[in-house]
Amino acid sequence: MSAMGPTRLTCEEVFGRLDDFIDHELTVEELRLVEEHLRTCAACASEHRFESRVISDIRSKLSRIAAPPSLREDLLKRLAEERGGPG
Amino acid sequence: MILLHLAGTHMATASGHLGISLALVAGVVGTQPAKSRSDAGSYEALLVALLDSAYRTALHLTRNAADAEDLVQDAALLASRGFASYEQGSNFKAWFFRILTNAFYSKYRKRKREGVQMELQDTPELYLYCQTAAAGLHAESENPAALVMDQLDGELIGTAIDALPDDYRVVATLYFIQDFSYQEIAEVLEIPVGTVRSRLHRGRRILQRALWQLAQDRGIVDELTQARGGDA
Repeated sequence: MSAMGPTRLTCEEVFGRLDDFIDHELTVEELRLVEEHLRTCAACASEHRFESRVISDIRSKLSRIAAPPSLREDLLKRLAEERGGPG
Repeated sequence: MILLHLAGTHMATASGHLGISLALVAGVVGTQPAKSRSDAGSYEALLVALLDSAYRTALHLTRNAADAEDLVQDAALLASRGFASYEQGSNFKAWFFRILTNAFYSKYRKRKREGVQMELQDTPELYLYCQTAAAGLHAESENPAALVMDQLDGELIGTAIDALPDDYRVVATLYFIQDFSYQEIAEVLEIPVGTVRSRLHRGRRILQRALWQLAQDRGIVDELTQARGGDA
């Protein structure tokens, strides 16, 4: 967004940037404009809170599965074998 | 320690930065394991630190625990053979997951699709937000997302991700499990950033629809709306 760009965003413009905002994919200037809008628009702020919560919950719950202990042991053994020795 | 800093990553081309190609997966290059004991130790330390997340990623790519273990092992051996091409100090995680996803595409994607895959139909933006509002769940809660998400465990969410169409599932898995940026996903998959963005945004909408459907099927929505009604 250039220096000649908008100084404020509409709800529709924020809506179109919400995914990128949540993912930290906006430019610094766009980020500032979206943050400014969210501070003053309860409806957009509500949508943002909702979407952010859904994404963070999905991330958090998917991170609870660990690799089976045997995978690490088997893998290190195979790597050692490939190098031609017991490690 | 994992080398996660992305010096120059956002300026690099997808093919140049990670320094590895599909040829590695095909076994055309990099047929020698890590050369010295210190190389091997360095590689193994980097690999072990990624193992849990590599397994989680493989689990959602293959949708099968046994295949996930095989995929991680295949990728780890391929990466060991190609470790000489890894640029020390660059993004090992992105480098390794490029090998893993290439191995997945090379081996597993050719198989007949198993399990239920949802149809790729358009899903409106803010799907869960609108559905929970229509169900009256916004009326009495300041955090309606938590009302639903607290009832969905990792297994159920995993089921919804596994049902995504292949291209969307791969991007969503790298996004949700690896927390990769759009640029990193683009480099791992060797696709344009714009393609990552569109698949991810659309995939998230499809995922929300699947989660809401699962919540309905499991009676979670009914329980929540009845509880709200009871509170009123």
